[in-house]
Amino acid sequence: MYGETGAAMRTELAGLLEQHRIQHRLGEALGQRTHAGEVIQQYRHSVLVWCTQAMQVATPMVFSNVRPRVHDPFRTTEQNGAARELARALEHATASSTVGPAPLPLITAPQENPVVEHWRQAARAAVLAEHDTNPTVTGQITAAQAQALVADVAATTQALVVLDKRYRKLPGWTTLPNPAQLGWSALAAAIDANLKTPDYSIDAEGWRPRVKLLRGPTRPGILGVLQAEHNLLIRLQAFPHVANLRLVADSQRHISRQLTPQAARVDETLAARWEQRADNYELIRQQLRDIGSLLGTGDLAAVEAAKIVSRLKNVPADRIIEPRTLAAFQTLYDKIDQRIADIVEEGLERRVFTQRVTLPRLDTGRGALAAPVRERHRTITNADDLDVVRTVREQLRPPTDTQLTGPGDSRADLHAAVARPLASSRRVEAREL
Amino acid sequence: MLLSHARTLCDARSALAVLADRAISSDASSAYEQVLITLDVIHGDEAPAIDTYGLPEEHDRLLAIASTALERLKSHGVDDLHVELLLAMLDDATELDVI
Repeated sequence: MYGETGAAMRTELAGLLEQHRIQHRLGEALGQRTHAGEVIQQYRHSVLVWCTQAMQVATPMVFSNVRPRVHDPFRTTEQNGAARELARALEHATASSTVGPAPLPLITAPQENPVVEHWRQAARAAVLAEHDTNPTVTGQITAAQAQALVADVAATTQALVVLDKRYRKLPGWTTLPNPAQLGWSALAAAIDANLKTPDYSIDAEGWRPRVKLLRGPTRPGILGVLQAEHNLLIRLQAFPHVANLRLVADSQRHISRQLTPQAARVDETLAARWEQRADNYELIRQQLRDIGSLLGTGDLAAVEAAKIVSRLKNVPADRIIEPRTLAAFQTLYDKIDQRIADIVEEGLERRVFTQRVTLPRLDTGRGALAAPVRERHRTITNADDLDVVRTVREQLRPPTDTQLTGPGDSRADLHAAVARPLASSRRVEAREL
Repeated sequence: MLLSHARTLCDARSALAVLADRAISSDASSAYEQVLITLDVIHGDEAPAIDTYGLPEEHDRLLAIASTALERLKSHGVDDLHVELLLAMLDDATELDVI
């Protein structure tokens, strides 16, 4: 996930910016400093490569926030935006570099020197971030998310330029090509990106490990229930038959109802939510009884649902559940509710689910025989008419995640670390005057 | 499925649904629901909608309607063993539903 790798990179760079008198820190002997300088340049190149690649991903979606001088919609101004300038400067810096990126052993093996270790961690995060910001993963980013990415790259580039200036007296050090242009274009891009509020939800984009089944022996007590609930979420990836969906809905009603008293002892707000969830599933269970289906599997989901019900019997009523475990249940509940709401709506959209028809009753008042049944199921033409659809939309589906949309601490720290040398140099200049 | 079979199935389903909704404990409610779902699965999910019109309020009478309707399914070609298993499941659910 880009949020993790980007934050790691910024934290390490902020840590490096706080360290002055670098020669002294890299060792007493000349050979030590030379070797450290060579290694650091390779790490720097890895970070530079990420910056270049991230800009290539972001640039097509970046539109300058500065109002164009010429108000002619047929004349494009995007070729000369600050982000384009930064992308070009980074491409030039990467192409003209005489040092290659750090090889894998250098990235993976810890370094003894703390300064070099900071660089290694930054390079490691950059290499992982390449995976998170590649065009396949972030192909659908919005313009506001692209602005956030540009602002991050600009801050990282500024940090590299400041560090490059600080390290220039190291033996064998090669400065970045045209660092002034790189620094100014990074500053211009950062200002342009921050004229409007960037969308930091890009932190949630990127590669994530696949969720796996919790196999192995059954965990004791409440953890066994949690294990089955986790596995149920994974098994629900297959589209279930309505009979299996009804078993799953009943298991969710049962688990919410059974664990509510235990949750109430630790967190009353959570207990109220679970009580409401149990009521929702009771309603859905009733409404699903009159829905049939033509296709679907979900046998394995039904097995996990049965495990939940049976393992709940082994949990004593006076068992105290830790807040961490309760939070884990809540996370799973939200995901399962989301998935079940999706299944119901998808089933009706694809016309896989049908509505059962009520049988004609013998009407003694009209003196006529009951008409024979002509159909047992009716295709649902308008899903909005069904009660179950209204229930899953209005009551079951959890509210949209309030994702972390703020810039986060790592961005603020890096900006502060980049700005600090500038402020201190101005103080020195003022003192000299 | 003939109308009489569908009517019997509807009676069994409706009585079981009301029993599940009015059960005193969550365990008992789940147990009745299991009988209902198993009944639907035996019929290949071809079953009429639930119709609670005219069903009694009393638990014992509901139970009698459900078990009688299940018994009558034998005369509509439903496998005897399946019906006996359903009745056994209904007995288990009833035991959980006793205070």
